[in-house]
Amino acid sequence: MILELIFCFLATVSFAIIFSVPRNSLILGGLIGVLSFAIFRILPEYGMTAIFATSVASITAATLSHFFARRFRIPATAFTIPGIIPLVPGSRAYFTMLAFVEGDYLLGLELGIETMLQAGAIAAGIVFALAIFSFGKGIGHRYETNR
Amino acid sequence: MAKADEMMDICLLAGEIMLTYGAETYRVEETLERMAKAANLKNVHSFVTTTGIFISFEENGHGDVMQMIRVDDRYHDLNKVALVNQVSREFVIGEITSEEAHDKLKDIYRTPLNYPIWLIHFASGIAGGGFSYLFGGGIKDTLPAFIAGVTASVFLIEVEKYLKVKFFAEFIAAFVGGTVAIALVFLGIGTNLNQIIIGTLMPLVPGVPLTNAVRDLMSGDLVAGVSRGAEATITSLSIATGIALSITLFL
Repeated sequence: MILELIFCFLATVSFAIIFSVPRNSLILGGLIGVLSFAIFRILPEYGMTAIFATSVASITAATLSHFFARRFRIPATAFTIPGIIPLVPGSRAYFTMLAFVEGDYLLGLELGIETMLQAGAIAAGIVFALAIFSFGKGIGHRYETNR
Repeated sequence: MAKADEMMDICLLAGEIMLTYGAETYRVEETLERMAKAANLKNVHSFVTTTGIFISFEENGHGDVMQMIRVDDRYHDLNKVALVNQVSREFVIGEITSEEAHDKLKDIYRTPLNYPIWLIHFASGIAGGGFSYLFGGGIKDTLPAFIAGVTASVFLIEVEKYLKVKFFAEFIAAFVGGTVAIALVFLGIGTNLNQIIIGTLMPLVPGVPLTNAVRDLMSGDLVAGVSRGAEATITSLSIATGIALSITLFL
């Protein structure tokens, strides 16, 4: 587990370098990534589904990213991308593709839906954190109640 | 009229840099409006999509000005976005004048990548090795994933430099990365082929368009959000096609 976290930190920081984030957000972005990966790994051991664990991890990562973005005056994307990268369902997406290549369409559809759900959970986490940090400022309304 | 013209140049330059190097649409719109309002211009409107910027404002007694620019390139360099953000913040609170802001923006426009290109290749390798371990490979699988990741990154950047077609470069990078991974496993370096290939492909994942698509859709920029999502989807499909081709050919 410790070794996994170290590898996760290295991989996350490398990802931050690939997307060329500002230097002062490198280490912090890596730590956010490690935290979200730890949540993603630990929650299923307590009987929660992988999708739910992903959304919890993604909410945590995105909320922390917004917080640090305010603090250090850096666009939140610079923290969000390293934070959510360990959650990306790369493995499932690959096996989806493999199943389709081998002609096993049923398995491919099953894995594809799982991939979509996990990606959706990540998106939901980002949206949720954005919503928290937009309270009062407002993004999108349904009824014009203040008229 | 001079002030409106100058502000127009500054706003368009700032917007072009931010949009080109991977800022969200809402951030570009907000920055442009704030800067124009800070320069005492009235009736400020900006409309930004993934590929173009429209901005119009009114200088007292001189009528309206409106311009648009088309943005063709979309790179990944979040550092420049942060720098432009900083300049616009300083300009809005009045720490720097418009000339200084213009000079700083020109400097940012000219600066090279934040990290040297070899470091980006190296980082792709490290990311490849790390993710191959995280997705269930062994310690021995990190070395071939590292080699294949570096190769994929080199091919991505070099092919893009010569052919200037992003989607084809991603296709080639995925194909070459997969081929190198298969070759290394065939030579006996590393055992879990699937995990090595996944690790190799992870650095090619379109992270910036994906996150920006979610952000844009959420903040109401529906056109920009959908188009970025489509871009990310095409990128993912070209990666999947490249790796599928190498698996079909060599396995």
